[in-house]
Amino acid sequence: MSVAQFWHPFALEPFLNALFIGLSIGSVWLLAALGLAVIYGTMGVINMAHGEFIMLGAYSTYVLTTFLGVPVLLCLPAAFVIVGAIGLVMERTLIRFLYHRPLDTLLATSGVSLVLIQGVRLIFGGSPQNIPLPAWVSPVMDIGFFHLAWLRLYIMIVTFGLIGLTWIIMYRTKWGVQVRAVAQNKEVASACGVNADLVYGLTFAYGAGLAGVAGVLFSAFKDVFPDMGADYIVEAFLVVVVGGVGTLLGSAASAGLLGELSSIFSYFTNDTFAKFVLFTLVVVFLRFRPQGLFAESAARR
Amino acid sequence: MNGNLYHNKKAQWATYILFFALLALVPVFVPQAFLLNQFARYCVYAMLAVSVSLVWGFGGILSLGQGIAFGLAAYGMGMTMMMQGQDPVSNPIPGFMLSNELDHLPLMWEPFWSPTVGVALALLVPTVFFMIFGTLMFQARVAGVFVAIMTLAELAALYFLVYDMQPFTGGFPGLPAAQPFKAFGISIDPYTPLGYWLAVGLLAVITLGTKALLQSKFGLIVQATRDDPERVRLLGYSVSLYQIVVYTISGIIAALAGIWWVMLTQFVSPTALETQFSISMVIWAAVGGRRSLFGAIIGAYLVNGLQSYAGDTFLDTWMLILGGIFIIVVRFLPMGLAGLFETAIGYVSTNLLFLKPKKYLSAERLRAAE
Repeated sequence: MSVAQFWHPFALEPFLNALFIGLSIGSVWLLAALGLAVIYGTMGVINMAHGEFIMLGAYSTYVLTTFLGVPVLLCLPAAFVIVGAIGLVMERTLIRFLYHRPLDTLLATSGVSLVLIQGVRLIFGGSPQNIPLPAWVSPVMDIGFFHLAWLRLYIMIVTFGLIGLTWIIMYRTKWGVQVRAVAQNKEVASACGVNADLVYGLTFAYGAGLAGVAGVLFSAFKDVFPDMGADYIVEAFLVVVVGGVGTLLGSAASAGLLGELSSIFSYFTNDTFAKFVLFTLVVVFLRFRPQGLFAESAARR
Repeated sequence: MNGNLYHNKKAQWATYILFFALLALVPVFVPQAFLLNQFARYCVYAMLAVSVSLVWGFGGILSLGQGIAFGLAAYGMGMTMMMQGQDPVSNPIPGFMLSNELDHLPLMWEPFWSPTVGVALALLVPTVFFMIFGTLMFQARVAGVFVAIMTLAELAALYFLVYDMQPFTGGFPGLPAAQPFKAFGISIDPYTPLGYWLAVGLLAVITLGTKALLQSKFGLIVQATRDDPERVRLLGYSVSLYQIVVYTISGIIAALAGIWWVMLTQFVSPTALETQFSISMVIWAAVGGRRSLFGAIIGAYLVNGLQSYAGDTFLDTWMLILGGIFIIVVRFLPMGLAGLFETAIGYVSTNLLFLKPKKYLSAERLRAAE
């Protein structure tokens, strides 16, 4: 392998295109990370089964569209409810016993992830499933040198919509005040009459539901298979920790930054090598700024 | 000390030595070469469980990247064994490089002509890597879940690097070695008792060495940094130094396991660097008991033994059950099977053997009383 093959020289138009792709990658990662950011930011729980929630959202879409004939758009709220309910059950039966052992929640949820992957594999088989898409999803937008699948644009729109929704819930509702109060100090919030158990349960369910919605969209541009969640989980974690725990703005900024960097490195080398460079950069970044880009003065756990 | 025979150090050492003696006798009863090789592989899994138990159970550092040391060492060994099959004059370039259009041996591969240098590098590279990576993390007082995420990310990064650099690393298909490893003129056939005994021998040395280390003053301070790093710091110890050392030692153990793994399988591929494999190591240690080296070894044997027993057709169901077992262990048995055993032995020794009962409260009781 010569250097010339490995290193792609700079050219303006493909490079600009790469920047757009980077934005799209960032929005995909942000969508994958949003639920994780809500759960980790509020509860300090590292949910290793988050990728599998995405997978469950994708399989919900598969079942709803293929067997029940539900239109894809309706799958968005449906997957939110289904995966959210699964998240609620998981929080009530397992996670709530482990709040004082954060490292153990990480392990228990990785056990859950194994169970979900294998459970789905036993029910649906290991082979990838394809979801037939309506005609308006598939075309590619061509404006001069600029190529972008419409689907990627829809993903950006949904991602920004969900961020906006989450921001409104967190900062403009009474419920959000309670969530932020519990995130800052559970004991004091409880003493002030906030039902912390309820807040934890519903926050976890909301985060899981967001992963479900992500799964619906991801099922449209990639195959659906039992361990598809593993493709998103490391990136999603990095988006959350680089952005800073408990800040939606930070997550959005870090997703944009990481997505762009990834796309630029991919442009000059290739996708796989870009991941190596990006992950290494993130690890070095965390060494010098473990609190992330935008750290709120939230209690460190 | 107290009435529980489980905490009796002499009894512990006797159990460990008896266990390794029994393991060494396995070839007498298992003549089948395939099974013997499988038991030898379990020894490697057990080394990895010991490494996780040391760094996580005793050091309180949850590293999900033990596969970094394992994989780096495995590749070093794989390269060494591959070069043993090449001839400097007639056949100097491994076949996979030729099919990737490399017309000369890369500089990185040159040292591996010498098996001594090759094996030394296989051990040295991961050790230095862990030392540097550990220094970076622990001097910045990175702790808890951040260590887990950083090690996991670095492992994933390395996986992608090895996967991508096919002309230099063999990429996805990996590096197969044509012949068994030759050292001092002896060919170590992994399907013979010699291969097995080498594996058991290394496991015994690693385990007993780690146990001695943990019982020394150093080991006690390491455990103190796990329980309350702030208090240890205020007592005047450098917490990060102890963490770096214990992390590096766990890396050396995982690296030795990697070298032995390739010696036993004659093959290395990026699967050694998969995140799921490193998480599995944590599962073995957790099921057996993170704060007991013996427990961790038993956990590795038990989980892998059942996995082989389940076979390929039943494998999916077994993985489902394994996930379930893991959840139950974390939820109800944080100290794993060893914790269960500790309670049982405690009951037997105080109630049936009438050993002296506990004179002071355990750390858990004290915490509950606060």
